[in-house]
Amino acid sequence: MLFVGIDIGGTFTDLALYDSETEAVRVHKVRSTPDDPGRALVNGIVELCELADVTPDELDGVLHGTTVATNAVLEHRGALTGLVTTEHMRDVVHIGRHQRPQPYSVMQDIPWQARPFVRRAHRVGVAERIAPPTGDVVLALDEDAVRAAGRGLHEAGVQAVAVCFLFSYLDPAHEERAAAILAEEMPGCFISTSAGISPQFREFERFTTACMNAFVGPGTGLYLERLTAALAAREIDTDLLVMRSNGGVASVAEAAARPVTLMLSGPAAGVLGAQWAGSLVDRNRLITFDMGGTSADIGLVTEAGVQEASARDTQIAGYPILVPMFDIETIGAGGGSIARVDDAGAFVVGPRSAGAQPGPAAYGFGGDEPTITDAHVVLGRLDPERFLGGEMKLDVAAAEAVIDGLAEQLGLSRQETAEGILTLANANMAQTIRSITVERGRDPRDFTLVAFGGAGPLHAAELASMLNVPEVLIPPHPGITSATGLLTSDLRYDLMRTVFMVQGQVDARAINTQFEELGEELIERLVRDGAPRDEVKVDRFLDCRYVGQGYELRIPVGDGAFSDGTLDAFHRTHEAEYGRSSADPIEVVNLRVTATGQRPRLSRVAVGFGDLPSATIGEAQSVWRVDGELVELPTKHLLREKLPMDVPVAGPAIVFQRDTTIVVPPGWSAIAKASGPLMLSIEN
Amino acid sequence: MTTTRLASTVGGRIDPITAAVIGGGLNSIAVEMGYRLARMSYSSIIRESEDFACAICDHEGRQLCEATQSTPLQSGPIAGYLAGISRRFEEVGDEWRPGDVVIHNHPYYGASHQPDVAFCAPVFVAGELVGFSVTTAHHLDLAALTPGSCGIVTATDTYAEGLLLNAVKVEDEGTRVESAWRIIADNTRIPHLVVGDMEAQVAAVKLGATRLVELIETHGLESVRAASEYLMDHSERMLRNQIELLPDGTYEAEGFLDGFLDHPDPAYSKLRIKVAVTIAGSEMHVDLDGTSPQLDLPVNMPFVGTVDVAVYVTLRSLLLDTVRHDAVSSNSGLFRPITISAPEGTLANPRFPAPTIARFCSGNIIADTLMRALAPVMPEAVAAGVGNLKVVAYSGEKDGATWVYMDIVEGSYGGRHGKDGLDAVDTLYANTRNNPIEDIESHYPLRVKRYELAEEGAGEGQWRGGLGSVRDFEFLEDGGFSLEGDGNLVPPPGLFGGGDGSAGSVLMNPGTDGEQSLPSKIAYRRVRKGEVLRTVGPCGGGYGDPALRDTAADERDAADGIGAGS
Repeated sequence: MLFVGIDIGGTFTDLALYDSETEAVRVHKVRSTPDDPGRALVNGIVELCELADVTPDELDGVLHGTTVATNAVLEHRGALTGLVTTEHMRDVVHIGRHQRPQPYSVMQDIPWQARPFVRRAHRVGVAERIAPPTGDVVLALDEDAVRAAGRGLHEAGVQAVAVCFLFSYLDPAHEERAAAILAEEMPGCFISTSAGISPQFREFERFTTACMNAFVGPGTGLYLERLTAALAAREIDTDLLVMRSNGGVASVAEAAARPVTLMLSGPAAGVLGAQWAGSLVDRNRLITFDMGGTSADIGLVTEAGVQEASARDTQIAGYPILVPMFDIETIGAGGGSIARVDDAGAFVVGPRSAGAQPGPAAYGFGGDEPTITDAHVVLGRLDPERFLGGEMKLDVAAAEAVIDGLAEQLGLSRQETAEGILTLANANMAQTIRSITVERGRDPRDFTLVAFGGAGPLHAAELASMLNVPEVLIPPHPGITSATGLLTSDLRYDLMRTVFMVQGQVDARAINTQFEELGEELIERLVRDGAPRDEVKVDRFLDCRYVGQGYELRIPVGDGAFSDGTLDAFHRTHEAEYGRSSADPIEVVNLRVTATGQRPRLSRVAVGFGDLPSATIGEAQSVWRVDGELVELPTKHLLREKLPMDVPVAGPAIVFQRDTTIVVPPGWSAIAKASGPLMLSIEN
Repeated sequence: MTTTRLASTVGGRIDPITAAVIGGGLNSIAVEMGYRLARMSYSSIIRESEDFACAICDHEGRQLCEATQSTPLQSGPIAGYLAGISRRFEEVGDEWRPGDVVIHNHPYYGASHQPDVAFCAPVFVAGELVGFSVTTAHHLDLAALTPGSCGIVTATDTYAEGLLLNAVKVEDEGTRVESAWRIIADNTRIPHLVVGDMEAQVAAVKLGATRLVELIETHGLESVRAASEYLMDHSERMLRNQIELLPDGTYEAEGFLDGFLDHPDPAYSKLRIKVAVTIAGSEMHVDLDGTSPQLDLPVNMPFVGTVDVAVYVTLRSLLLDTVRHDAVSSNSGLFRPITISAPEGTLANPRFPAPTIARFCSGNIIADTLMRALAPVMPEAVAAGVGNLKVVAYSGEKDGATWVYMDIVEGSYGGRHGKDGLDAVDTLYANTRNNPIEDIESHYPLRVKRYELAEEGAGEGQWRGGLGSVRDFEFLEDGGFSLEGDGNLVPPPGLFGGGDGSAGSVLMNPGTDGEQSLPSKIAYRRVRKGEVLRTVGPCGGGYGDPALRDTAADERDAADGIGAGS
């Protein structure tokens, strides 16, 4: 069977075609078309098919990572959106948690006040009230008021509506009834309910998530509709599947209904690609490190799978978002990150970036501030003739000039300054990695750092040294790891429900009944989207806390039934996360069910090898820090695709590959594995 | 193989690269402490409202960093707590020893006020004191005269405000002092929550201590000390550079707080805060002479712990506003260019044992008045008059146990250059979070009936004031509440021709025959099932001439149902 994975980035659209019979992978890269991202996608598929000598109608699946919904939020370009909410609660989405995002600023803008998804004029309260703990209706829904609200919003030209009632996670009946009435009054309108998107407590966060979903709904739907039509026009009539933030793919219908679940579509695919690369050498404890031009995305994989974010911590463009997402930390460190001296003489790297235009000084497009890329050029780690496979020549003199300017301000040498830029950038990234490993009780020494993206392999080994991570893995195609990640994804749908039950009064039967209901609904959805029923895997989880605490921890229930003993796992999880447990009673807060419909997946890829003489293309002087001292050492230059199989090569060395450059510092060695990855390890 | 040796970066003093790396390491320790405290704590005032702070200090007790989750009114006083503990240790002949954990909340020994309790652990490396790990957090109930730790507005001295813990060791050289913990547990109406929160604080300070030792092991004590000096000097320079840009001179303003509006003696209401800022070169002096005399009711402010924090946080937010300037480390160096004075015996420098528990009301007026004093020399950095806050302690009995819930009601900002004021936010030196309605109603017999913007009352201006909130709580069972707040009398002033905002209010049973208007300080009162308490936050003052307001902004407000003017 033939599958194609497509990740659309800001500059390039990456494609990977996989033939599951021959295990052959063919990769392709085309320029992105931001005005109509689907154009690059469709043209790229056609070109890739030509390269691989297959016809588009032979494809069995197209898997897609998209930034359409994410960009709509980042650029605040969405539908004219309305909100129907509980009476006297229409400003919950405006007041938020009443905290200023920045504690020391008078002139700040608060995202949800300065750039609301729904203007107050289009926020309407209607009488209704549901109460805890069991979802009793204490005030019936005023259906006439909903109807009137719908008419008013329709007349105002509103194209999308979020229905958000307090306590709807206990009983969504009012929201669902209101949505049905609005559908009658507002033909063609995109309607989301808050419980339908994320039935969990904390009204500001849940309402905002639903409003965001409505805001990006019509645009994302239109994009997917056009894309489906454009594919059909090229006789590609196979399933189009879209990657979500939870690392599963969804059908177009499912993705269009819940576009808020697409916000980390691309980065999630990257983590999956890294996970797949780890599996090639039997590694399942991974720190994934994707460093590009402006930022670095960091994720975590353990034997339990990809680490998911706690809903309390997730946000997009400063807005809270309550949907299952991979735990991906983004920091402002990329090849274009600018190094400078601040107002009072301190040294800073990032988050300001030179971007693609003008880009680093070395690009020769007029960049006049020193960047991370310029530091690599000055230290001899990027070969000016081989950048992007030789397509772009780097301007060494320009890089030296900007680094010299900074060096003068700092009173350091050119090399010290360039190396200092990398040290500080690496230290910032190491801090982030510590926050998801050491700070959660995980020892980085037990992990492998998987580095990809254009700049990841340049930094990986030195970053790993800072963290005492003993091993670095570079995937076979580091520049298109997200596209390959798409080829390893399954259909995955999630549902959850807030229950609030305290140990001692936990109704196991009610929990199991709800688990059954949620599981059945997910199976229905997966079957509808083409998964064979008997191959669907269902996993159950509980979000729990000690009574009185405000943050929940997730414990797995597996696919079996809940019993009182299930809760014992919480004490262990609490101990692992915070270093202690308690004898206090446990409160069950949320039930979660995840259903996975397995798909044929990328297993292994064929890679070519050569021998050391053919791989060696030269030697040059480069600057390294050894035992705290900066030293200039002769450094081997090698070609990745000619490296011999299973032969270690000692650093210092620079390994060139079309889409990235791999740095092997002194004290490290690199070995190309038969299964595809390049492994770097620290020499004892 | 030939190698060329280049000069080492490490010379006599720290290089800026290593300093930045160590600075990042210090900040991340504080953030990790905050993460652990918020997640392990039990009461909503910490876990939801984030009324806490975490910091690492050096061996002299100088603050080096703070957790990003910290509210300024909790993090600002930390160095003062340590100084207070040291002063107390000297008086009683005690000292810091490895394995100690100290609890402290004495408002005349550096604490911000009695409910804000610090836990401090000294950090030793090879027998040498190298620093301190500290957290502060607001506790829900600590032996005040009525339930809760706010609205204790009839306390006539410090002793009436609750349990005083003056540099008490709860762990002594690694041994838990059970009797100290018993005193605490026996002196709160809700020991489970309060002790649980304190245990979370202890866990956080121990974590911070461990991480500081690791940081020192990684970089060496000498480098960490040198980096600490570098970082404090850098923060100082950041602030100095900005002060230097302002014209020398003395700039004055006055502001008023409600005080006790129902007190029979008029000397207890409309209390004056007087601010005179003198700028000379890169130094700034803030003088509070002319501020009203201290009272025997609790709106007095600890000079160290509240007054200093109000001044520092305001100046920092104006001079180094994080959207207009580079990020600066929160450390004790930052405020070296600033001095403060206030005559003893005033609200701003009370004599022991004048009560202070409701001091946030007055401190927020200091912050607002100071901002107004500086408005003429930094018109593009300030907001017009800012609306003050209210804090309510709701309580009752359920299943034989007392419950207490503390609700912080937001104010609003005045208009700003180019921007309307922020609506319904925590203001100035406070930055807590509200509690989700769905959390409140799931845990207490309360129903939140309304949480909306106050549609009328924003100060008119080229950029109008922000809107306060209207928040209604219905009691589903018999219970009670007490309240401390301010801003019910004098509206937040307009600036540069903008109109004044509007004062807030407190109402019982609004819209019924039994409607009753209440003052901004309310001692504990019982409430029957079905009664409703409404709080209305003040709306901020306007900025600039209303005639210059963009008509599109007016049209947008009209469509949004917002009317300016009071």
